[in-house]
Amino acid sequence: MHSGFFNQLLLISQFELKRFFATRKGLLSLLTFAVVWYVILRYPLRFAADMLIKGQGFIEGSSFFDFIGLSSLHHWAIPEFAVYWHFALFIFPMLSINLAADQSCSDRERGTLRFIALRSSRDSIFFGRFLGVMLIQMLLISMTALATLALVVYRDATLFSAALANLLAIVVNVALAILPFTAMMAVLSAKVKSVRQATLWAILIWTFLAAIISGLAHYLPVLDFFKCLIPGYQIADLTKLSEWKTLQLAYIPILQALVLLGLGRWLMVRQTL
Amino acid sequence: MKTAIIQCRQLSHVYSGKLALSNLNFELEAGEPIGLVGPNGAGKTTLLSILCGFLRPTSGKVSLFGYSPGATQLIGKVSALPQDARLDPSFTLIEQLVFYARLQGLTRQQAISEANRVLEAVTLSDIAHKKPQVLSHGMGKRVAIAQALIGKPALVLLDEPTAGLDPVNVRTVRSIIAEQSTETTFVISSHDLTELDRLCQRVLLLEKGILQPEYATINEQQANIRFITLQMEACPATELMAKLQLLNGVEQITNPQKNEFIITYNSDLEANMDMQLMQCISANQWRYRQLSHGKSLEEKLFFRE
Repeated sequence: MHSGFFNQLLLISQFELKRFFATRKGLLSLLTFAVVWYVILRYPLRFAADMLIKGQGFIEGSSFFDFIGLSSLHHWAIPEFAVYWHFALFIFPMLSINLAADQSCSDRERGTLRFIALRSSRDSIFFGRFLGVMLIQMLLISMTALATLALVVYRDATLFSAALANLLAIVVNVALAILPFTAMMAVLSAKVKSVRQATLWAILIWTFLAAIISGLAHYLPVLDFFKCLIPGYQIADLTKLSEWKTLQLAYIPILQALVLLGLGRWLMVRQTL
Repeated sequence: MKTAIIQCRQLSHVYSGKLALSNLNFELEAGEPIGLVGPNGAGKTTLLSILCGFLRPTSGKVSLFGYSPGATQLIGKVSALPQDARLDPSFTLIEQLVFYARLQGLTRQQAISEANRVLEAVTLSDIAHKKPQVLSHGMGKRVAIAQALIGKPALVLLDEPTAGLDPVNVRTVRSIIAEQSTETTFVISSHDLTELDRLCQRVLLLEKGILQPEYATINEQQANIRFITLQMEACPATELMAKLQLLNGVEQITNPQKNEFIITYNSDLEANMDMQLMQCISANQWRYRQLSHGKSLEEKLFFRE
């Protein structure tokens, strides 16, 4: 008797949730995350939202936000979510590189993965860990989005229903934005020996991939298409969109994640444990 | 007719240009514990890693109960003590063992009960709620053995199960293997030949990645030629050998180590050689430490004539 693929997938992802929310190391990460987001919500987010509400920062037809490249903030009905959207789009992918780096490398080096591989398929391990890390990040995104919602309701309770729609659009979109980053870390974690190596390789690969493809596309515009290989490629365009229009670009991170997960699975199946 | 639980056909493995296993062909049936011996670097851990599905062989075919190593059909049926594998330091022993049991398909209640059973078997129940950091090397090894016993698998592959354990714990491990060997077949890789001699009826000998053909016959003696290993207290070796050589049926006497003698005899000529030896020792007022039928595993494997 053995449990099926989906049962193992759930058990492994649940264990990852337990690792983050019920172990000392996980709780320390959670505390750090909470402090950083408290500062973001308390100061820059409230400050920028106040400016938008009061119509400040406009000088001779152009605004301060246009000047710093955040002109799309005006397109959002609720200023707090407009600012939150921009912070979340950059912070969560960066957090993902750190948070998702240890999907399998430490366990493989320690030998713990052998104990698990004796009782589950490598597919269950690979996709279970990926699912677990995605769920953790989605919970973190939801928590920060809910904190932003609380700020909105505190300012004006009548905005609750409109804010709820914004919140859903943001959570879905940020989750989609981190999808390829988490998949990239799953690939690296399946190959390298430590979290440190996974993080360094992620930064190097991402930087070089972006620099090389952008450089080549500058001289050969036909290569511009290959920019869609870079995780986060759509983020700059996403910042120009608002609310549910942001889903127009959802196909990019989904396709990137599918390709990366395919590659990661291929590596995981062949990896010596 | 017994069916093979492990089958290897033309199995070879190469590590960065070095041949670790060379064209292994063997079949093992369920039953008494099976030993896997060989010097360092002989390929024992490589072979066990391939059987567990941790490592893909370079060439050849391997099957366990008719399935490829690592197949989902083997979950709960095949387990192992991998060499140098350690538990996750973030979770307690019981949390990890329950998790492993649940992956094998047990319900939460069954998993808790099974985790407690295996911890009790290795006498570690009192630290079930501790994290792996508090474990000594020996305790860590016993927990690793405990996880291999979850769900009473049909085949357990143990890589150096007694290495680093004190004599009391070696005895515990030996008892566990002896108790469970009625329903589980153990394959034990070890350098401890005395231990294997006590536990195993069959032994595979690997040398430089090659399976030695003698492994199949080490316990099969010619019908009439038998051996007795005699360990003496301090005694005059030359005189003892001379006197024993005069006994009826004795073919040869060797003295491989100080105070240890191997007597080769013809059982057709003298069926009660042990009694004759005792009488001779008593008549000369010597003292013996141990008298056992057959050769030690060390003699059989590494000092063959």
